[in-house]
Amino acid sequence: MHALRHLALALFLAMCAVSASAEELISDLPRNETLIVENPEGTIKNAGWFNIWAINAGGQSTGLHQLAMDTLWYLDPQHGLDGVWMNSLAAEKPIYNADFTEMTVKLRSGIYWSDGVEFTADDLVFTTELHMKTNGLRWSAPFQINVASVSAPDRNTVIFKLKKPNSRFHSLFTVRWGAIWIMPKHVFEKVADPLKFDFNKPVSLGAYVLHSYDPNGKWFIWQLRDDWQRTTLGRYGKPGPKYVAYVDPGPPDKRVIAQLNHELDIIHDTSAEGMFTLAKQSKTSRGWFKGFPYAHPDPTLPAVIFNLQNDTFKDRRVRWALALLIDIKAVSMASYRGAATISAIAIPPTGTHTESYHAPMEAWLRDFELDTGKRTIKPYDPNIGRQIAEMLRPSMGEQIPTSADDIARAFGRGWWKPDPAAASELLQAAGFTRRGNDWMTPDGKPFAVRLVVEGDLRPVMTRAGSMIAQQWRQFGIDAKTEVAQGTLPDRRQAGDFDAMISWSVETYGGHPDLSYFLDSWHSQFVAPPGKMQTPRNWQRWASPELDKIIEQIRSTGFDDPKSVDLGREFVKLAVREMPIIPLMAYNVFTVMDQTYWTGYPTAEGDPYTDPVPNWGNSRAMMVRLKPAK
Amino acid sequence: MFTVLRDLLRYRTEFRFGAILTGFIAAFAALSLVSPYPPQDQFVVPPDLPPSWSYWFGTTSRGQDVFWQLTFAIRNTMLFGLSVAVLSRLVSIAIGMWSGYKGGIVDRLLMSVNDTFIVIPLFPLLVLFYFVLRDRMSWPLLALAMASLGWAYDARLIRAVALSLSSREFTQQCVFSGMRTREIVFQEHLPYVLPIVFYTTMNNMNWSIGLEVTLSVLGFTDIDTPTVGVMIYWANQHTALVAGVWWWVFFPVLFVMILFIGLFLLAISTNEYIDPRSRLARMGDVSG
Amino acid sequence: MQAYAIYALKRLAQFVLVVFIGINLAYLISHATPIDPVEQTVSAATSFGNASPEAILMMRASLRELYGLEGGAVSQYAAFWRRVLVGDFGPSLSAFPTPVSTLIGRALPWTVGLLSVSTCLAFALGNLLGGLAGYFRESRILKLAGIAAMAVHPIPYYIVAFVLLIVFGYLWPVLPISGGYRINTPWGWNAEFVLSVVTHAILPVASLVLVGVGGWFMGMRSLVSNIVSEDYVVYAELAGVSRGRILGAYVMRNALAPQVTGLAMSLGSIFNGAIITEQVFGYPGIGTLLIQAVHAGDYSLVIGIASVSIVAVSVAVLIIDLLYPLLDPRVKVA
Repeated sequence: MHALRHLALALFLAMCAVSASAEELISDLPRNETLIVENPEGTIKNAGWFNIWAINAGGQSTGLHQLAMDTLWYLDPQHGLDGVWMNSLAAEKPIYNADFTEMTVKLRSGIYWSDGVEFTADDLVFTTELHMKTNGLRWSAPFQINVASVSAPDRNTVIFKLKKPNSRFHSLFTVRWGAIWIMPKHVFEKVADPLKFDFNKPVSLGAYVLHSYDPNGKWFIWQLRDDWQRTTLGRYGKPGPKYVAYVDPGPPDKRVIAQLNHELDIIHDTSAEGMFTLAKQSKTSRGWFKGFPYAHPDPTLPAVIFNLQNDTFKDRRVRWALALLIDIKAVSMASYRGAATISAIAIPPTGTHTESYHAPMEAWLRDFELDTGKRTIKPYDPNIGRQIAEMLRPSMGEQIPTSADDIARAFGRGWWKPDPAAASELLQAAGFTRRGNDWMTPDGKPFAVRLVVEGDLRPVMTRAGSMIAQQWRQFGIDAKTEVAQGTLPDRRQAGDFDAMISWSVETYGGHPDLSYFLDSWHSQFVAPPGKMQTPRNWQRWASPELDKIIEQIRSTGFDDPKSVDLGREFVKLAVREMPIIPLMAYNVFTVMDQTYWTGYPTAEGDPYTDPVPNWGNSRAMMVRLKPAK
Repeated sequence: MFTVLRDLLRYRTEFRFGAILTGFIAAFAALSLVSPYPPQDQFVVPPDLPPSWSYWFGTTSRGQDVFWQLTFAIRNTMLFGLSVAVLSRLVSIAIGMWSGYKGGIVDRLLMSVNDTFIVIPLFPLLVLFYFVLRDRMSWPLLALAMASLGWAYDARLIRAVALSLSSREFTQQCVFSGMRTREIVFQEHLPYVLPIVFYTTMNNMNWSIGLEVTLSVLGFTDIDTPTVGVMIYWANQHTALVAGVWWWVFFPVLFVMILFIGLFLLAISTNEYIDPRSRLARMGDVSG
Repeated sequence: MQAYAIYALKRLAQFVLVVFIGINLAYLISHATPIDPVEQTVSAATSFGNASPEAILMMRASLRELYGLEGGAVSQYAAFWRRVLVGDFGPSLSAFPTPVSTLIGRALPWTVGLLSVSTCLAFALGNLLGGLAGYFRESRILKLAGIAAMAVHPIPYYIVAFVLLIVFGYLWPVLPISGGYRINTPWGWNAEFVLSVVTHAILPVASLVLVGVGGWFMGMRSLVSNIVSEDYVVYAELAGVSRGRILGAYVMRNALAPQVTGLAMSLGSIFNGAIITEQVFGYPGIGTLLIQAVHAGDYSLVIGIASVSIVAVSVAVLIIDLLYPLLDPRVKVA
């Protein structure tokens, strides 16, 4: 009995010791000077590798590309610190010659690497030349394809001579999530093989340097440089956090628990239900929007992507029929519990796009007519965004915005009205027949669609796919989801799918130029069936009309207002042809805890950047964050 | 056979309880045949409702009735576990007894095969299986795959018992008295082997159902067919535990527990019934 | 003695054969994956960045060359064995050019530490309870303990782990729920680091022991209940030997042999890692590495991890077979 009592006492003491040690998450760093951020890459298996120029060899969004890297320009997916365009290492915008075969860059002076060496034109020239003569570096290919020669007439000027005209060459050096990062010449020129060099400890060009990291890849801590003023962020004032820790917080439920315990300041993404839990239980947690839908709409567009080389989907009437069978309200509920920002057109409804595309094209969409083979219908329903808001209002109350503008911004505008009758007519016009309850293809086989989804890597899109398959199934189509998991990129590239939920539309968000994704939709890049397709035209859509639009954009300047008109032409063509069924923005439930820090970017407060912390652009947050206490 | 059953029901409380629990689960699973909703459809009832009179086990965040979902899930999971267990038992008993009894070159050959199956990396193989089968993946196929992988470990245990039995005195006596191998194995040795068979059966079911859940949690499964693993997968996708929708996970887990306790009670009582010595003791009790 | 030496040699040959076949199977399985490591790398590099189609074609080609994927299946296979014989699994294809052995070496100590401790704890606890329950068959408390162990046993491990996490990480937050040690603690044999490793292991170990006990319990219980009615036990009881001594010296000891076989195999199989434990508790280890490798189509890494596990399990089985004739004299060496 004595032994038992001793044991109980020992256990109790151990528990006390444990509770004492459980108080602080991080050892030896003051919590109120530390920002703790989720790194969505999770555990980095090769933690000690910081050479970001070797492809996929180590982690990226461990803070490495957000805090330690820098390049010429940043294009903000939201509104920016002082405008969407940020001249970072460059002193001004890119200067092209008349036929876009030469680009001149003016560089800032007074910028230093973290080891005290000054950044000059030589670093940029070195980066370019090393990539041109080395195969297999991350950006070797774009340099080798584009650049004929590079030179630095003085220490602040670099001139690129291009192999062929390219009006978007600068976009390689413009951060939209990431871009080509500049190498420290004085480090890499001493390295024998840049592909086998780990760059540990990294010499930083950003405002932070590596403080410490976990050899097992669970966390990385960065520390503010003493000479932060000698970096490109310096002119925006002193960054708030002295330390920034990028951690792997585990599965979505655990991220929620961690933030409820105030041990995770920024959640990169969680489920809709996790977001609602935080909104309910933590007064200090908030999303991009104060109320519904909370999430930040990323400039990425989840859609039903058809394989247009598959006979069944070659006919646009079939694609339209499948679109008219989707009840987007149910999809929004199933995927995001209503917290989706829907879009009927192939442009993500976010950033400045809504002003450039969604609002001005509303009238055209209302008048848009579709021939079902028997009659002409107007398929667009402009009220769907509002209907979703009204559907949620009884349970969510004040969190649902009331003004039409706010609703449009939060939930999107209209979408296609579900119309099974029109879908039947379209399918019949395309030669499909109905046998009992089941639809048959023109060659008499059951109409089967296997809708490929990615699985728990993209839960929201998996949930959307599962709902869409159900709606098709209820109409008499043999539709099922297939969870591809890690095989998704292979199957997408190989064209090994009927239809999938993924995205082939990605934009800048803050800038109306569409070339970022659209250039790769040119038919010159469409692979023959069975061969590998390059990004991003996964639907393998080849259209002479589209090619004409793309070619016109290529010869139009980046900031030329004409490119918006061309973008609208693309939207109209994509609505008529329906090569993909656009669903909604990729809403990311980034949740920010204001217990230790304030000044996060928000939709109604100050939308100075995208809060999603794996974006290179998220470095802008550091200069606006202030300690809460 | 019926007398055995009658005896068991009459004399063993454990057996009675076990039969009731297992029967309850089987009856519950049978209800799936009359479910008002197709198992894969979502948003057929209001989502996130806690258990109440109208929805006994509550509803999921996908708008499904947990009660009816669970009838499908328990049915599929139970059939899955049982098929893996039965199929792999056939192989492991045959190989284990044969190998242990014959010894020599037969033993070494069989054990080489056996050990190869033990060392095969299971997880990459099952994932490969999933990737290759794609939408043809179903629980019967998975059961077949797991049965052909899941016998080796237990065959080794059974062999160890058979090995020690074959060198015991009473075996020698049997041999000298002219019994044939098959008779010795089935009449004399099986009672010694059966306890281990029962317990490996339970462990095997536990293993296969556990692995099914693991594969589901990781997403390597047919997410349209409810099993206990798939229910947990979906609950997980909706962070149900943190969001407070505990009933989505609680009832599947509760029912699996009931099933296993039922099977456990059946196993231990049958075990003692078969054991010749404890049977003698019991007869003494009854008569005396 | 000579007979035993011959037996051991034959057994050793069998070991080599099993390892050889096993690694070949692992080679086949991992290379049969439809996931192409080059496509994974390409899409990791391009999913967010600006990527012109021409550049990607070029990247694909140079990666294929860099990863050494050129050349026929036979020469690849031959090169594989040439390397494996000197213990080199080549560079990882999802963390190129870091060697597979470096990645495994970093994760393995965590896995071995976590799983050997929890396996041994579960073994000790399960067998003790099982032995008692089998011997004192009429004890109500032990029957209840048996039912409790059986009730916890089938709960899907994921749920057990998660409930522990919510209880001790959120409702009553006294234990750390993520990682192998406290963030920013310098590594070393000092009290702070060791204490933080121990506290971080409590929940993972507890969850593994909770679900692991049931299996051992049931095995031991059925074995003991079988032995209890053996003649020598009955004699011992009639001779008035104390029940504790009978249980310890006569019953458990004899029942332990097959259980030790099981323990050896469990210890051998820990090199597969504990995938769900690592995911739920964010614990470092080889399971997460394996999952990542499978997702990335990194077959070099998959084979590396599988081979470690194949050798470990085979060694465990070999040791049992070599020790068995020595421990149990009734077994004739064949």
